[in-house]
Amino acid sequence: MFAYKVSIKNYEKFLEAIKKKHELIAPVKKGLVRFEPIKDIKDIFLEKNAYFPVKEYFFKKQEVLLKFQGIKVTQPKLESPTRVFFGLRRCDLNGIKHQDKVFMETIKDPYYIAARKNSILIGYHCEKAPSKYCFCGTLNLADFYDLIFYDRQNYFLVEVGSKKGLELVDTFSEFFEKTKIKITPKEKKIRGADRLIKKDISQLYDNKDWEKGVNACLSCAACTSLCPTCYCFEIHDEVKTSNPTESERKRTWSSCQLQSFSKVAGNHVFREKRSERFKHRIYHQLDYFKERYGVNLCTGCGRCIEGCPTRIDFVDIINKMKTSKIKNVKTKR
Amino acid sequence: MSKQKDNSENPYMPKPYKVLEFFRETPDTFTITVKMKIKHEPGQFVQISVPGVGESPISICSYSKEHIKLNIREVGNVTNALAKLKKGDKVLIRGPYGKGYPMHSFIGQNLIIIGGGCGVAPLKGIVDYVEHNRKDYKDIHMFLGYRSPKDIIFSRELEEWRKTYKLTVTVDENQHGEFCYNAKTGFVTEALKESKITGKNTVAFICGPPVMMKFVIRILREKGLKDEQIYISAERLMYCALGICCHCMIRGKFTCMDGPVFRYDEIGNYEND
Repeated sequence: MFAYKVSIKNYEKFLEAIKKKHELIAPVKKGLVRFEPIKDIKDIFLEKNAYFPVKEYFFKKQEVLLKFQGIKVTQPKLESPTRVFFGLRRCDLNGIKHQDKVFMETIKDPYYIAARKNSILIGYHCEKAPSKYCFCGTLNLADFYDLIFYDRQNYFLVEVGSKKGLELVDTFSEFFEKTKIKITPKEKKIRGADRLIKKDISQLYDNKDWEKGVNACLSCAACTSLCPTCYCFEIHDEVKTSNPTESERKRTWSSCQLQSFSKVAGNHVFREKRSERFKHRIYHQLDYFKERYGVNLCTGCGRCIEGCPTRIDFVDIINKMKTSKIKNVKTKR
Repeated sequence: MSKQKDNSENPYMPKPYKVLEFFRETPDTFTITVKMKIKHEPGQFVQISVPGVGESPISICSYSKEHIKLNIREVGNVTNALAKLKKGDKVLIRGPYGKGYPMHSFIGQNLIIIGGGCGVAPLKGIVDYVEHNRKDYKDIHMFLGYRSPKDIIFSRELEEWRKTYKLTVTVDENQHGEFCYNAKTGFVTEALKESKITGKNTVAFICGPPVMMKFVIRILREKGLKDEQIYISAERLMYCALGICCHCMIRGKFTCMDGPVFRYDEIGNYEND
């Protein structure tokens, strides 16, 4: 794809121009780093990856699906604002790609599609892993963006990834300078993010270490809510207290780490133990999703580890499971 | 993979259908007949709504071009609210969903139907299907287990089934020695064990509480059935029924989309996954 050079000055002007035209959403540091609508482009924070993923802009934490008046059902009016997202790392971009598969391919989810369709995704390439928990390196992340910025310290190199991206460059062509510089596959590689040694866990299902690894789990579900890809939800009805004949059906994020996640009538719970729920999450991320959609669900951002109050590091746990046999031989005294 | 016919259609949107009949089966179970003319397979399910209360997945317990029947047990908020329905009311439904029993692949075989409690409901869909296509199948063995005589569902149909099929009914307890279709007192598993069924040219269908299914599978294996000859109907918590909310996952399979009917060898050790 084409590459463009953007000077630091033009970079600021470009974002300023976008902000004038559309809503601009980018990482901001307010204690923790999160994606927020930008008021002043100086607030954009790119030193670290955002603590919270961007998914809530498309797959909302809570959303009204249907409105009832007696037995009459209607769908609330859905808005599709043009929003430009800037500063998305490859893990977050691929997270969006994977959620697209769920909400736009498996079904046509009108709520997700409305929120997603007029969004423009501008990536920010990580030269090296921004956190010690990152492990995207071995997960074969795809080039999925409209534009992506490579930070070359005194200028930016911008790669176009889609028609939408090209149109954006055309619209704001005064800030983009065509260049013959090519971004090589080696330059796309993120240094220091290769710690997931083997992502194929298909043979580890009966490994006893799933149990050992999660003794410290509090079932708090921080891992799933901070995950850029986790997409489980529940649906509940709420009656309007002002008028009991009116009600709303709402979708809310849920978490497979909670015991109630698999509870059926009669109070039977299918994944009763924390280790079973932990294993289910990792299998969904690295095995089940791939079986259905051809890619790992996990994009290696490491948020589920960084955000875990007891720092359960599933990458470390899996790595140890894999190597335990070899280790035993080597460490024999 | 999508169940939608029209892309502009909202997959969460239920439609109103008329209740043609409300029949009280037991103190806590009832069957409604709904005027929903829709192509379906035995074993499939629908999502039935009560606005302001919620939605529940209920298996279709009939096989007809004219209507669907839903047998419902009052165990939660939605099912309790549904118990207030009357003939002529409108009820909100979406579906049908999931994979049912692939009845075509069993032509020329003996069928063994094993149900426990309200697990008999999805299996009744098979019986209704067989009634429409009786010559396609050989011997029909039915083993239906209930807790007590007052818990027997489909009492109206049992009279007919008794005449037509090899029916065994059991009740776990029968303190007052009530008449109930020559039911034996004991578990359905015991009746199955004593029976002379074999695995030859046979396929078995099971639906019931997890513990019952576990023991039934063990007995069927002893009788010579292979896992490929056993079909189970799985129950899981479900919200979307569209293959995306993930609550109904059994390892990598979605009960709502890949099931609820599974060939046993497809999901193996399913009980704690």
